[in-house]
Amino acid sequence: MGIVYIPPNPPIPPSQQPTVSVYASVIEPKIANTLVRRLNQIAPLENLRHVKRVRKQCLDGGKMQLTVILCLACENGSLSGSMPKDIVELINSYQLSAFVTKVCKYAALSKEEWEEQCKLWPTSYHPPTYNIEGITGFSEEESQLIFSFMKLAIRLATSTNDQVVNAAVIVDPSSKQIIASACDQIHSWNTTVSKTSLEPGQLEQSAVFTSCLTPVVGAMLNGSAGRSKQLTDVSCLHPWHWPQPQLLASSSFFHPLRHAAMVAIESSAAGDRLLFPSNQDIRNQCSHEDDMQSVYSNSPAKRQKTVPLEVVDSEPVDNCSIIVGPEQVRPYLCTGYDIYLVWEPCAMCAMALVHQRIRRIFYALPNPNAGALGSVHRLQGEKSLNHHYAVFRILLPEEELMFGRREGNVYWYNCCENDK
Amino acid sequence: MASGSEVEEDFRYCCCIYGTSNTVELFPSSLMILNIASFSTCQAKIAMDSLEVPVGLGLLKCRIPYVRQFIVDEATRHAEMEAIDVLLEQWQRTGISVEQVAEKFSNCILYVTCEPCIMCAAALSILGIKKVYYGCANDKFGGCGSILSLHSSSSEHQFSDKGSQRKGFSCTGGILASEAISLLRSFNEQGNPNAPKPLRQPEHQPRK
Repeated sequence: MGIVYIPPNPPIPPSQQPTVSVYASVIEPKIANTLVRRLNQIAPLENLRHVKRVRKQCLDGGKMQLTVILCLACENGSLSGSMPKDIVELINSYQLSAFVTKVCKYAALSKEEWEEQCKLWPTSYHPPTYNIEGITGFSEEESQLIFSFMKLAIRLATSTNDQVVNAAVIVDPSSKQIIASACDQIHSWNTTVSKTSLEPGQLEQSAVFTSCLTPVVGAMLNGSAGRSKQLTDVSCLHPWHWPQPQLLASSSFFHPLRHAAMVAIESSAAGDRLLFPSNQDIRNQCSHEDDMQSVYSNSPAKRQKTVPLEVVDSEPVDNCSIIVGPEQVRPYLCTGYDIYLVWEPCAMCAMALVHQRIRRIFYALPNPNAGALGSVHRLQGEKSLNHHYAVFRILLPEEELMFGRREGNVYWYNCCENDK
Repeated sequence: MASGSEVEEDFRYCCCIYGTSNTVELFPSSLMILNIASFSTCQAKIAMDSLEVPVGLGLLKCRIPYVRQFIVDEATRHAEMEAIDVLLEQWQRTGISVEQVAEKFSNCILYVTCEPCIMCAAALSILGIKKVYYGCANDKFGGCGSILSLHSSSSEHQFSDKGSQRKGFSCTGGILASEAISLLRSFNEQGNPNAPKPLRQPEHQPRK
């Protein structure tokens, strides 16, 4: 088992780092200080702060040679034509001979990258010092907690008797409490499919279906999505699949956008409204009721918020987050919370989690079809967004992901059974 | 960058979904009061430019603008998502099938003052909407060309299963852009009473 940080930028092989051209010149060591001070004034390297201005090289015979970066060079400009006037003056007064060389454009993200960069021109390397816990590693205790929340999400994903879906668990890491949890609700909006409603024929079918799943998940773990067709109930994996005729959708309401993460966000917000009712809420609720009356007159299928929490029956989930003292501050959206998802979310869910200010996202399986945290898009690296979460993939051994194991009448093998 | 103003930027939308089949649906749903005049002009202009809009400006009478300021905990209840929910409920109350709902969405046009964000653009693609007209671009969150281009169906990800195919929609921006901007600006001036003070900053800075 392991936890892998998924950085905002796609990883670049250390040897293929982008570079920029600069003018450099060998200088006499005794003028180095004066020259560097002057250069920092007339040609500061604003976007190349990681690049060292002076390179020190040991020549044969033990002699030190200093080379200094004069200024940025145009990619294909002539040597003297594109150089600032001040630099030209400096070159003339110190009798320097400028040449073009390359330096790495971006600061190194890893020690390996940095070592590679220094072969070109020395740079400085600062290991990441973000404020989000976990980017530089998790303690043993934290790791265990993270694994147990992910296992809960996997249990939820396989808890419906007839399908494997995506599942989401929102957690407050400071109190280790579950704020909300949900599964995909595309075909069962406001309804729960009970086991008894299944026809024998359908049971047969679902048993066949489940026996196919283990190799599918195994294939996904190996990076191949060729047979992911059988996981079409996982909404983030197949967001466009909803208009296809469904086995069980005939009588229930459906909603193509009720992906697990969206439902969990709604559930967490509903919980907050319940816990921290404010005057404004009540007043607006009234005006809203009036408006809704006009919209939904005689509506029997009025949308109901699932309050307080949606937790699968028979799961010993600790719901004590419901009981809070009056001194507790109303949370602002999901600031500071983590979310656990079995599959990497699609663009809709990933952006909803940006809007909702989630702090960290943990997922177990990549989503090569529609994943927005590294697979197809990489929202954590979109600089223009007003919030950035940290993203981690949890690597679980294959037996934890055995969704389809059959055990007597239990069609869905509970992957956490081993822990008991 | 003034963080205080960023929060409510998520909310400054209003939109309506417009069917092009015989039954025309128009549900402006908004976190601010819809400026009907702007939309009338907007629709008039589009009606002149495009023949696919039904002769339906009179149908504005069935507008149902409502304000959902009360949702303080869900930053995801954008106007587009609200309008989609209204339509899904309406249609399903009449007992139509999944396929029919998909068919209806594929005949719908969305009008929105501001370019849909990445979340809403993804949602509109999932539903398979026909077309989107928007006012001003959304250069921080936009999912129809500004940041991501979720409306464009071109993709290297092809499926043998046609049902899993990514769906694109056509998208035209800059419709009454200056009116849209002043509309949003006037809402902006009211501020967001729900934003915490001081607003938390993004917890890490992506690589420059």
